[in-house]
Amino acid sequence: MKRNFRDLALFSLLFLLLLFGLLGCSEEQGAVIDDNDVEEEIEQVGDIKILKVGMNDALTGAAAVYGLPQHEAVQLAIKQINEAGGINVDGDIYHLELIAYDSKGDMTESLSVAQRLINQDGVNIILGWATSGMTSAVAPQIAAAESDVLILVGTAGERGITAKGHPNIFRTRPPADFTGGAAGDFVANRGIEKLAILGQLKDSFYQQYVDAFVEYYEDAGGVVVTTEIFSQGDRDMYSQLTSIQSMDIDGLFVPGYVEQAAFVYRQARELGIDVPIYGFTGGNEDQFLAVASEEDMDGIFDLRPSELTVEVLGPSAVKFVEDYTNEYGKAPTPNAPFAYDQVWVIKYALEAAGTVDDISKIIEAIRELEIPEEVVMGYIPVNGKLFDRSGQAYIENIAMLWEDGRWTVYDLLASDVEGYSEFLYNLDE
Amino acid sequence: MGLAAHLIKYLEINGSQKGMVILDAILQQTVNGLMIGSIYVLLAFGLSMIYGVLDIAHFAHGTIAIGGGYITYLMLNSFGLSFWLSIIVAMIIIGIIGLLVERLAYRKLLNAPPINSFIVSLGLLLVFENVLQYLFGADQLAIRTNYTRVFSFFGASVAEIRLYVFISSIILTIILFLFLHKSKPGKAIRATAQNKDAVVLMGVDVKKVYSMVFIIGSAIGAIAGSFIGAVFAIFPSYGAHIILKGFAVLILGGLGSIPGAVIGAYVLGLSETFGAGFISSTYKEVIAFLIMILVLVFKPEGIMGKGATKL
Repeated sequence: MKRNFRDLALFSLLFLLLLFGLLGCSEEQGAVIDDNDVEEEIEQVGDIKILKVGMNDALTGAAAVYGLPQHEAVQLAIKQINEAGGINVDGDIYHLELIAYDSKGDMTESLSVAQRLINQDGVNIILGWATSGMTSAVAPQIAAAESDVLILVGTAGERGITAKGHPNIFRTRPPADFTGGAAGDFVANRGIEKLAILGQLKDSFYQQYVDAFVEYYEDAGGVVVTTEIFSQGDRDMYSQLTSIQSMDIDGLFVPGYVEQAAFVYRQARELGIDVPIYGFTGGNEDQFLAVASEEDMDGIFDLRPSELTVEVLGPSAVKFVEDYTNEYGKAPTPNAPFAYDQVWVIKYALEAAGTVDDISKIIEAIRELEIPEEVVMGYIPVNGKLFDRSGQAYIENIAMLWEDGRWTVYDLLASDVEGYSEFLYNLDE
Repeated sequence: MGLAAHLIKYLEINGSQKGMVILDAILQQTVNGLMIGSIYVLLAFGLSMIYGVLDIAHFAHGTIAIGGGYITYLMLNSFGLSFWLSIIVAMIIIGIIGLLVERLAYRKLLNAPPINSFIVSLGLLLVFENVLQYLFGADQLAIRTNYTRVFSFFGASVAEIRLYVFISSIILTIILFLFLHKSKPGKAIRATAQNKDAVVLMGVDVKKVYSMVFIIGSAIGAIAGSFIGAVFAIFPSYGAHIILKGFAVLILGGLGSIPGAVIGAYVLGLSETFGAGFISSTYKEVIAFLIMILVLVFKPEGIMGKGATKL
């Protein structure tokens, strides 16, 4: 009797554990469909139609640091648009419903997610796409196979995504090398003559940034003394930093995910590396301070697109930060608005096109779109439009400096939008 | 930057500095390797004991260890306990979870084909990973301690927390050795690992031995997870990543051998750091596993495998 009770108690504990696990599995693997309680709060004025939009992003795994904020930003934008009355498409009112699946930042998973969204869920607009690895492989493939599917890419910065010229791909984030060249110039002009690079260079996105960086840096007279690599899952960079420490350098450049870069900054200081450090990471203060101390971070630069730099952006950025913080209890990451802005692009494009089904008309409307006032990022118009001929949008490049526990604006970097747009359009990739 | 570049750099530096630079780098990489090896030691202890006694490849061990790290994080940040007390709490809780896993997941499979326990261990890995994600989210968490000093030994830098990891692994190795060789329960564990049938005939309750192994192995895993969180960071899927290292250590050192696990852990740690530092950081993981394969080519049973007493 006593043993039966004990076994029953033990079994119950394990059952509860399994239940949690299955709940976790279903949440990760299945659709994350936003609840519709917002709709219940809206008065019914005529028929409200629901338009499903899909999201393909890394909600777990190493890339979730960029994918999750995108997901949250899209949910926020949809909520705001729906609450404000929805989208008026030729007299019909539409509310957006998000169907998001977790790609885990994996190519195979991402392809499966895209196919599921299109074939099972019937969506013809797919948002998200935070990481270059999966996006550069999957988005063009989907775009080529499904010409009636519109793909809006967020944080993924690998150049080929828009360089390939698919008419149904648009991207709010500028390519990596648009910033890399300006950054190389900046570092050389700060008197750094012998540079070490330690970065996530197996990733084509960072490699492209570094290629442009090195070209401009060496043209300006700098010398890259050594290049070391860390991987997406690495947390221990002591070996690479030890190797760098034995070299004669006067600067260190770190392009990579914020989580890995934070460890580089901390471990570099632990090893006594005190040369100026320049990064390309796009992380916010919380993300860095979760790993490194304020002393570790002091004096470090981040050379990146301006992204969510409230000091240089307008009131819409301030409002976005406030709304996001109220909604999720935490500050948005610098990349989150790339996805937030995608939803506003859809809204205005659908209204201009007057259709939710004819993707070619929607694409045409996007090409003609001027910069909506609700968008957060500081886009630079190309011939008065948000996107250029390659479906690419551009924002300023910026040098951020860590001072007094936070990122501060140090300087704007050179941003030759017209020249780069021409280069991208003529690129054969 | 490969070995050739280091040699070129070595030749470019004048005078007595030449030797110093290379020696400094070798010393620092050795220290780096020993520090990382210490974490592998703590991870491998639990795996080695479980495999040595029960012949189970417990793939969920890494994730359960990371769970220990999360508990330490909670105790430290939400309850204000000290780092070391938090680890003790984590050891107790994870030890209990280890007991539950043994009693409810593996106990019935001991006489079944090995593939069964292999499948169950993979299933447990997924379950625990999802539980951690559900409870703590996907973002990485670093266990912040006050141990932020950096020491210098003959020119090599060692972060304070890494030094404590190294010292702890040495102390635990000694404690485990004494426990297994000098205490009655420890001898029962070793005897069970060597010959289950014989110990049954001698009146040892092997089921209690199995439970003890899982409790102790999981508790030591919790220490590993806590140190991983303090030196690096923890996130739910990290367990699946580090368990591969754990098994590499096991295979390298000799399956079921505790001394082998210790040697294997430091060999792996040093291979990784020397490979990354002097050959190429691009292939850091590949170099370490290549060295492991080379060792196994000449000694297929592992460094301490053949002729060594189990545990």
